[in-house]
Amino acid sequence: MITPVRFRQFFFAFLAIFAFAWIGLVALPWSTLGHLQPVPGAGGDDITPWDASGLAHAGERVYASEGCVYCHTQQVRPASSGADLIRGWGTAKNDTGDKPADITRRSYPRDYIWQNQVFLGNNRTGADLTNVANRFTDAATLYRYLYDPSVEDPHNSMPAYHFLFTTRRIGNGADDDALALTGADQPASGYEVVPTAEAKALVAYLLSLKKGYDLPDEVPGPVEMPKPENAP
Amino acid sequence: MPLSPLHRHFTSSDPELAAVDASLRVPVMASLLCAVHWMVTGTVLLVYASSLAHPAERIPILDIFTWLSQNLSAFTYGRVWPAAVDALVYGWAGSASLGLVMWVLARMGRAPSRAPAALMTAVVFWNLGVAAGLTGIFLGQSSSVELLEFPGYAAVILWCSFALFAYWTILNYLGRRSDSDQIGQAWLLVGLFSFPWLYGAGSMLLGHHLPGSGVVQAMISAWYVHGIYTLWLAPVGLGALYYLIPKVSGLPLHYASHARLAFWVWLLVAPWTAVHDMVGGPFPEGTVTIGLILSGLIFLPVALIGISLLKTSHEGRQKHHESIVLPFLSLSTAFFVVVGCCEQLLSIRGFNVVLHFTMFREANGLLWVYGFFSPIIFGAFYYILPRLLDFGWRSNFLIKIHYYASVYGILLAIVVLGFGGIMQGVTLEDPDKLVTIFNADQVALSFQIATTLCLCVISIGNGVFALHLGWTFLEWLRGGVRSVGEDERPEAPTVPESALDPAAVEEAHA
Repeated sequence: MITPVRFRQFFFAFLAIFAFAWIGLVALPWSTLGHLQPVPGAGGDDITPWDASGLAHAGERVYASEGCVYCHTQQVRPASSGADLIRGWGTAKNDTGDKPADITRRSYPRDYIWQNQVFLGNNRTGADLTNVANRFTDAATLYRYLYDPSVEDPHNSMPAYHFLFTTRRIGNGADDDALALTGADQPASGYEVVPTAEAKALVAYLLSLKKGYDLPDEVPGPVEMPKPENAP
Repeated sequence: MPLSPLHRHFTSSDPELAAVDASLRVPVMASLLCAVHWMVTGTVLLVYASSLAHPAERIPILDIFTWLSQNLSAFTYGRVWPAAVDALVYGWAGSASLGLVMWVLARMGRAPSRAPAALMTAVVFWNLGVAAGLTGIFLGQSSSVELLEFPGYAAVILWCSFALFAYWTILNYLGRRSDSDQIGQAWLLVGLFSFPWLYGAGSMLLGHHLPGSGVVQAMISAWYVHGIYTLWLAPVGLGALYYLIPKVSGLPLHYASHARLAFWVWLLVAPWTAVHDMVGGPFPEGTVTIGLILSGLIFLPVALIGISLLKTSHEGRQKHHESIVLPFLSLSTAFFVVVGCCEQLLSIRGFNVVLHFTMFREANGLLWVYGFFSPIIFGAFYYILPRLLDFGWRSNFLIKIHYYASVYGILLAIVVLGFGGIMQGVTLEDPDKLVTIFNADQVALSFQIATTLCLCVISIGNGVFALHLGWTFLEWLRGGVRSVGEDERPEAPTVPESALDPAAVEEAHA
C-alpha cells in the first residue's frame, strides 16, 4: 500500500525543507559575500581590486551574448583542488610593481566585486580566462585570435568570430585597428578587416581580466577603508 | 476475429476516468504536440552545436556548418548550445510535463478538469514564452546564466503561465473526488511548488545581476541549475512513474513503505548537489563541505526509489511481454539510478576536482533530460494518447525503432561523454607542467566526434516518435474523430483495452 500524504502537513514540511537549501546556498552566502568591499592596496591610498573601464563593462554583455562562458571558466582553484596553478592560469605579472615579479594564486570572492555579471563557468573546453590579459597583452593579437583562432594551433576547436569584424574598402589610409591577416584570411586587395564595436568592447573586457595583485587571505565582511580625501 | 486498430476502443472502461480523459483531451494534446515540436528543434540544434565542437576538416560535409557559425552571429556555438538546451528543458520537458502533470493529477483525483480556459491559456503562453526566449538567445540577448538564458520578457511569460498552471492544479487537487492521496501526488506537487520559486528567484536575482554581489551570482546559478534537475524534473518524472508503473503493470508497488522516506530524504539532500559546481572555487568552504556531505547521501533515496520501481516494472514486463509502455518506464528508472550514481561520484571531492570542468558534466545534464525525463514522456504518452483520442498508435514497428534508438543512443552518448570526461579531466589535472589546454582538447576531440554520432542516433529515435505522432494524429483527425460523439459508441468494449498495451489495468493499485 502506498503511504498517504496529508496536504497541509506535507506543504509545511516541504516549505521548511526547501527553505533549508535556500538559506544554505543563497541567503547565507549572500549575507556574507554579497557586499564585499575592496581592501587597501599595497601602494598607500590605492584600493585592491580596482574597477575596469566602462568599455570593459560593455564587453561583459558581448561575452554573455556570444556565450563564451560555455567553454571558458574564470576561476582558479587552489593547489589542493586540481592543477589550475600548474596550468599557469593563476599567474599574472605583478601590477603593483613590488616583488615578486609574478603573482601566482587562486581566485578569491573579492576578485569579482567589480564585475556586473560574473562568469565562473563550468566547462573547460577552452582555457581558463582569469588571467587572459597576461597571455594576450595587446588588442591587436586578441583581434587576430578572435578572427581566426587556428593561427595559434591548426587543431584549435575554438570557433572563429568573423561576424565580430567588418570587411570594408580602405578609405583615407588603413584603420589603426585593421587586422594584419595572412594566408586564406587575407581580404582582397584594397580591403581591410576591422573590428566592430562589439569586438572592441569584448577585447577591452578580456584585457581587463588579470589578477596582478595579492589579496589578504579572505576575511568575509567589510574591511576598514581609508577615506578618500576629495570624495564627491 | 480481432478488430482492426481503427475499430478498437481504448477509452477507459471506468466512466469516471473516461470523463476525466475527455475533459483533458485538448490541453494534453496541445502540450504534447508543442513539446514534440520543441524536442525536434532542440535535438537538431544540439546535433548542430555538437558538430561545431570538432574542427570541420575531419568531416568535410560539415564545412557549411562551420561557415554559418563563423559568419552569422545567430549560428555561433555560444548561442546555439544554450538555445538547444533551453529548447529541450523548457520546450520539450517543460511543455510535456504540463500535459503529463495535468493528466496524472486529474486521473488521481478522478474529477474532470475545472477551469479549462485557464489551463489552455497556460499551455499556449508557456510555449509562446519558450519561443520568445529562444528568439532572444539567437538575437544575442542571452544572459549566459546556465538554464536562465532567456531574456527577461520571455522569463516573465514563462513564470506567469506556470503560475496559472499551478493555480489550475491546486483548484483541481482541492476538487478531487478520490481521497486516496498517494506518494505520486506528493512528488508532482513538489514539482509544482518548486518551479515558481526556482524560476522566480533565479531570474529575478540573476536577471539584474546584483551588481557587486560577485560570486554569490554563481552560487545562485548552481542552486538554480541543480534545483531544476532535482526539484522540478525529478519530482515530476518520479510522480508520473509512481502512478504509471503500478497501473500499467497491474502490480502493487514493491517496498512501498519506503517510498515516503525516500521522498523526504531526496528533498533534503538532492538540492545540495549544487555544490558540485563549487568545489575548489572562490566559495565559502563550509557551505561546500556541508553540501558534499548532504549530497553524498543521495545514494539512499536513489536506491530506495530505483529498487522499488525497477522491481515492480520488471515483474510487470514479465507479466505483459507485449507492453510498449513498461520498457520506456523501466529505461527511465534505470537512467535515474545511473544519474544518481553520477551525482554520487561528483559528491566525492577527488572525483569532482577531476570531472567538474569536463564533458562528464554534460553527460550528467544529458542524463537528466534525455536519459531520465524523455523516456517517461514517451512511455506515458504511448499510454495516454490512445485513451485520450480513443485511437491506437499506427505502428508497433515504429515504436520498436524508437525504443532501440533511444536505448542505444542515450547509453552510447553517456558512455562516450562519461569516459571522455574522465580522460579529459585526467589530462587537465595532469601535474606535468608541459601539458596544456590543447592536449586536453586533443584528448576530448575523438569523444566529441563520437558524441555527435550518438546524438544522431538519439535524433533518429526522436524523429521516428515525432513522425509517428504526426501520422497517428492526422489519421485521427481524418477518420477517427468519431469517438468525440460518444452516443455513436456501440457498447462497452469487449476486446482488451489495447492490443499494443494489454497490460493496462485501471486503478490496479487502488
